Amino acid sequence: MRLIDWQLAFERHLLADADEGGFASTLIGGPTLDVDTGLAIYHNAYRARLLEVMQGDFPTVWHWLGDDEFAGLVAAYVQRYPSAHFSLRWLGQRFEGFIGEYLVAAQSAPLAELARLEWAFTLAFDAPAGQPLALEDMARLAPEAWPLLQVEWGPSVQQVLCRFNSLQIWRAVKAQAAFPGSLALQQAEVCLIWRDQQVCRYRSLEPTEAYALAGMADQGWTFSELCAELAVTYQEGAPLQAVTWLKQWVEDGLLQRRAP
Amino acid sequence: MSVSVPCLGYGLGLRSVYYQQIIEQSPQVDWFEIVSENYLVQGGKALYYLDAIAERYPLVMHGVSLSIGGPHALDMDYLKQLKQLADRVKPAWVSDHLCWSRGNAHQLHDLLPLPYTEESLYHVAARVRQVQEVLQRPLVLENVSSYVRSKADDFTEWEFLNALSHLSGCELLLDINNVYVSSRNHGFDAWTFIRNLPPQRIRQLHLAGHMDYGDYVVDTHDHPVCDPVWQLFQQTLEHLGPVATLLERDDHFPPFAELLDELAKARELGAGALARRSLCA
Repeated sequence: MRLIDWQLAFERHLLADADEGGFASTLIGGPTLDVDTGLAIYHNAYRARLLEVMQGDFPTVWHWLGDDEFAGLVAAYVQRYPSAHFSLRWLGQRFEGFIGEYLVAAQSAPLAELARLEWAFTLAFDAPAGQPLALEDMARLAPEAWPLLQVEWGPSVQQVLCRFNSLQIWRAVKAQAAFPGSLALQQAEVCLIWRDQQVCRYRSLEPTEAYALAGMADQGWTFSELCAELAVTYQEGAPLQAVTWLKQWVEDGLLQRRAP
Repeated sequence: MSVSVPCLGYGLGLRSVYYQQIIEQSPQVDWFEIVSENYLVQGGKALYYLDAIAERYPLVMHGVSLSIGGPHALDMDYLKQLKQLADRVKPAWVSDHLCWSRGNAHQLHDLLPLPYTEESLYHVAARVRQVQEVLQRPLVLENVSSYVRSKADDFTEWEFLNALSHLSGCELLLDINNVYVSSRNHGFDAWTFIRNLPPQRIRQLHLAGHMDYGDYVVDTHDHPVCDPVWQLFQQTLEHLGPVATLLERDDHFPPFAELLDELAKARELGAGALARRSLCA
C-alpha cells in the first residue's frame, strides 16, 4: 500500500465510527497491545481532544446541554465540519451556524446566540491590540479638532445582538450560580465584548447608547454629527451627553482614532 | 562521544497556568520551550507574556502542526507564521514531531505514526529540506509515542531517525518518555533505541509522564516522570554528555513549586550521570 493510501485509510478510521476497509490488517500490535486497542487509543484521543477544546470554548453551552448532549452535538459538528485549521483555536468557528442548521429553530435560536456570545469572547481574547484611544489623547486634542473627531472600533471589539438572556446565562454559569433558564428579552440589546489590556470585558448597551456608538464607530460620524444626532432626543443637553458617553467609551478602551 | 551543540541546561514547557508565577518569581529555570501554535495569534495574553518571558529566558519553539510526514502539501501559510514567530522570539532552535497530523483535507490534531519505509523516508526528507529552506535553520524532529505499527516497515524507528537526519540534515529531539512508551507498546528495548541514534544529531531531550494501563502505556504528559524514564535519562546523559533537557507537562498541572522540584530532580540526576561519565572517560 502506498504511503498516501495508508494515511488516507488511517484518516478514514479516525473520522469514522468503525474500521472501514480492513485498515487494521495493515498494522501490527505489540506483545500486550493488540491492533484494535491501539487504533482505539487514536480514535478516542481524536474525539476527546476535539471535545475538550469545544468544552473550553463553549462552557456555557456545555453547561446548558449537559455532558452527553453536548458531546453528541460536538460529535455531529466535527463530522459535518471537520477541523480545517492547523490550530484548534479555530475549531469552534462554525459552531453557532451549525447549531442553527442542526437543531429545530425553537431550540437552536437561544443556543446559537449563546454560542455566538462565547465565540465572541474567544475572538476578543487574542485579537490584535490596536491603538486604543486613551483619556490623555483626548485631553491633548486641540479644541478646534473636536468637531471633526472621528473614531472606529478597536480591533478586539465584538458586537453580539442578544434577543435572549444569553448574557445572564453566561454570567450565571461563570459564577457557578443557579441556571436562570432561557428567556426571550422584551427588547433586543447589543452586548459588546472586548479586551482591555489583557482582560476581556463585556457590557450591554441601552438602545440610545448603542445607536450613538454605532453611529460614530460604524458610520463614521464626527463628534459634531454625534451631537447633532443626540440633539433630537437630548436637545440642549446633547453635547454633555455626547461627551459623557465618549469619555465612557474611551475609558472602556473600545475606540481608536479613525484614519483621515 | 560529546554532542557538538550548545547545551541550554534544564528547561520547562511554558504553559499559561504558570505565566504569572514565572514573571513574579523569576524561577531557576535555564530556558523555556513554547508550543509554537499557542502564539500564532495576533494579540492578547499569550503574546504579552511571551514577550515578557523572552526578555528573561532563552526560548525554544516546539510545534505540533507541521505534519512533516503528511499526505498533503506543506502549509506555507503556517510556515510563514512560524518564521514570523521565530523572528519575534529568536528561539535557540525550532522543533516539531516526526509524524503526520493532517490528512487529505482535515486536520487530525494528533501526532500520528508513519510507516518506516523507504517511501516515507524520501517523502519526509524532501519536506524537511523544504521547511529548513523557509525557516533558514535546521529543523529538530521529535520521536513520537505510538500504539500501532505498519506491517510494511523497512526500518526500525531508530534506523529511520538516523537515515532521516543523514538525508535531510535535521536534528533530533529525543523524547525519552516516548521511547519508553513505544518500547512497552511494541516490545522493543528502549536503550537499544537510544544508543543507536546519532549522538551528534541530538539537540534536546524531553522528559514527561504517562499513564500505565499495565498491558500498554499511553503518553499523556499529565504525570510526573516515572522511575524507568529517570533511569533511561541518566543512561542517556552518561552516553551523550550534556544535552539540553526539558520537562514537559501538558495536563493535571501541579503547583509550580512541585514542577520546579521535579526539574531540580532532573538537574541532580543529570549532574550525577555526567559526573559518572567524567569518571569513565
